[in-house]
Amino acid sequence: MSDNPRLVDRELVHRCLAGEPQAERALYDAHVDRIYRLVYRMAGDGDLAADFTQETFIRAFDRLDQFRGDSSLATWLHTIAVSVALNGMRKVKRIRARTDNIEETPDLAARPTSFTADLKARLHSAIDALSEKLRPVFVMHDVEGYTHEEIAGTLGIPVGTSKARLFDARAKLRLALAAFAGDHIA
Amino acid sequence: MNDDQMDELFARAARDYNTPGSVPREEIWSRIQAERGARRRERSTTRVWMWPSVGIAAAALLAVGVTLGRRMERSSAPDSVSVVAKAPLPVRDSTAELITQLRQETTATDRRARELASAVPANGADRTTSTRADETTALSYRLVMLKHLAGSEAMITAFRSAARQGEIDAQIAAWSKELLSTTRMLEASAASDDPMMKRLLEDLDLVLAQIKQYVTRGTNNPDDLDLIEQSIIKRGVITKLRSTIPPRNVPAGI
Repeated sequence: MSDNPRLVDRELVHRCLAGEPQAERALYDAHVDRIYRLVYRMAGDGDLAADFTQETFIRAFDRLDQFRGDSSLATWLHTIAVSVALNGMRKVKRIRARTDNIEETPDLAARPTSFTADLKARLHSAIDALSEKLRPVFVMHDVEGYTHEEIAGTLGIPVGTSKARLFDARAKLRLALAAFAGDHIA
Repeated sequence: MNDDQMDELFARAARDYNTPGSVPREEIWSRIQAERGARRRERSTTRVWMWPSVGIAAAALLAVGVTLGRRMERSSAPDSVSVVAKAPLPVRDSTAELITQLRQETTATDRRARELASAVPANGADRTTSTRADETTALSYRLVMLKHLAGSEAMITAFRSAARQGEIDAQIAAWSKELLSTTRMLEASAASDDPMMKRLLEDLDLVLAQIKQYVTRGTNNPDDLDLIEQSIIKRGVITKLRSTIPPRNVPAGI
């Protein structure tokens, strides 16, 4: 087998398309951890993450004949995963918006916590509140450690746009937490 | 605290954001296998029940097509003109109203086609030479094809508009079902002898099947809608339809 990742990808895809179950399993094993981690970070829920991961691979296997090898198989799978997760989260948000009216909204200020715990809770809420364009970039770069090249390939945007979105996301988080962080650290 | 310091503080705090646990690999794999198996079974069941009715419908459509072609050769303007749209449809405010009108037009055209078919006796056309018969058949196919492609374009456009507004109703479901059925008839007929037309019909088949499934389920799942949109764009269905349909000869019912 070749050491060239693109050739390895193509060979694996070719074997999957030829109907080899072992190849499908190998493809799954090679990518499931990163895919699951990413969609979990975006969903924040184990059941949703499992659903999104499942749907990502079902779609990938169904459309494997459309994989042209222009990008790596990992990037191609991540593109599907992000699309599945974003669409899934839109649906979840709609449902949550309805139930929020009848459920008690947690009051962060009322919780007696340490500075670090409080900062994390506020920061996580602020990340949740980022727009659909900014949040995936922030999560992929600052939380999961993807490079801008990987993010650009996954989201189908130029590298410069990925950088600009990260800049915007960080600025929004600073704005959202400036008073809180400043009070405690100054 | 400056921006860089805040970014550093946030980056550390963000590492705990939605921390994933261990990956339930085997559980997800089992679910993938089960779901794929279920979808395969669903597809094969649909195929088994579809083909007998497609065969019958294909024969009927072929008969209408041949009759239309013969009729066009024997008589001039009035009958043939009557199957050509005379004016653009008026603009309506409501998508639902527009869809109703489009479907009514389609039904009217189909009725006219049946009238033409019944007006011509079984041995009504003089088939002087085989070449003439072949030309007639080809012309009929072309006519039926154009009518169908234009109708499909109208339906896809109506669907996209309705989906955006969340106003998809039963009419779209029925309409997409009819058009999908006709597409598959044409795919199985001599109409797809032309490789380009064959590809167009295959692309159309995929998109119409997705639309039909989407409206039949009625779940309004954005993922499914996204899939349809991607199919339309990636396969260039609308562009291919528009480049195939001659603008001055848009058939009736569209």
